[in-house]
Amino acid sequence: MSNLLKRALKNSLVPAILMIAGKALGIFILSAKYGFPLEIGNDIGGFFSTQIYFQDPDITYYVNSVSDLIMLIALAIPTIYLISKTALFQSSLKNPKTIVKVTKFNILKWITRNDTSFLKTFLWSAFLWVCSGLIIKNTISGDTYIWIGITAGLISIFCGLGALKTFEVETNKVYPSNSKYY
Amino acid sequence: MKKTEIKKILVLVVEPIVFGLLALLFIIPTITVVNLKPITKSLKELDVLGLSNKAELQITIVGGTHQIFEKERLEADNGTYKYTTTLNGRDSDRYSKPILEIVNNREEKTTLEIYGYTHLPTNSDITMIINDQVYRLQSPNGDVQTQEILLLPQQKYILYLAIENFSNVQFDEDFELSIKEI
Repeated sequence: MSNLLKRALKNSLVPAILMIAGKALGIFILSAKYGFPLEIGNDIGGFFSTQIYFQDPDITYYVNSVSDLIMLIALAIPTIYLISKTALFQSSLKNPKTIVKVTKFNILKWITRNDTSFLKTFLWSAFLWVCSGLIIKNTISGDTYIWIGITAGLISIFCGLGALKTFEVETNKVYPSNSKYY
Repeated sequence: MKKTEIKKILVLVVEPIVFGLLALLFIIPTITVVNLKPITKSLKELDVLGLSNKAELQITIVGGTHQIFEKERLEADNGTYKYTTTLNGRDSDRYSKPILEIVNNREEKTTLEIYGYTHLPTNSDITMIINDQVYRLQSPNGDVQTQEILLLPQQKYILYLAIENFSNVQFDEDFELSIKEI
């Protein structure tokens, strides 16, 4: 079995778990905190038919919006961290000022080890795109606050650009640009 | 057979399975998050014995996800229930979905006046099904028919909405169903 597949499988586990946990915990924590009565049922047949019911449409709207936001944050923070780490690492190779700034903020660990691969960044970004897609769909159907949909869209665009930049850095390692030789 | 040949065959068998697992790692969280989206449903008021003690007519939305019926809403206003949904663009065929659960908790019979229509004419034949009995709501030429349904005491009914069209429908349409007790 190829190493790429093995690593892809290994790196996909955490974001997949975080995505489900973010949404589920968001719903249950909010319900427990504010005492919203909820019911779990499966009125429709088939696989994955479990539904969570709330009594009030406003509560449903609020809980769905906030749990979507929690899921987005759970995936966005590690993705942004991975992208920032790669950007800082690359910048520190070219610009000594970055090293000074990184030392000042006491995050020297971020640039001393290049353990962030494109595959990892891509997989986290892919999960973030899926999550953003679901949130935008919910926003369009009027089930999530509009500002959460806009935030999800902006974050996914930003992370997409970040993943593209990481891809550029990786390809430059294999095919360095001509200017490096002159 | 040599050891290396066995290994090669094993790799050939295992690799597609791992690909499938990787795809599942994206599909399962997506389906789970879609199903975790809470929906509004009036919860039953239960007494200490776990029995419903409110002698009234209960109309609740079934919910769930469907390819054609989306953005389902149920609003109650002065004894009149208004169910709305968006019927997505579709191929010519017949589609149906359980949409409402009606429970007559009273000790006497109740009659409901039900009518439903789309805001735009799409030559669709729209019917509702209760206890395997089909009632026409809107004929393909756009005529709306009001139906009267007799509900027996202490009975639960599932109302299915069925839609049939003989040509493809390219755009989405809004459907409204009004339920009034008479």
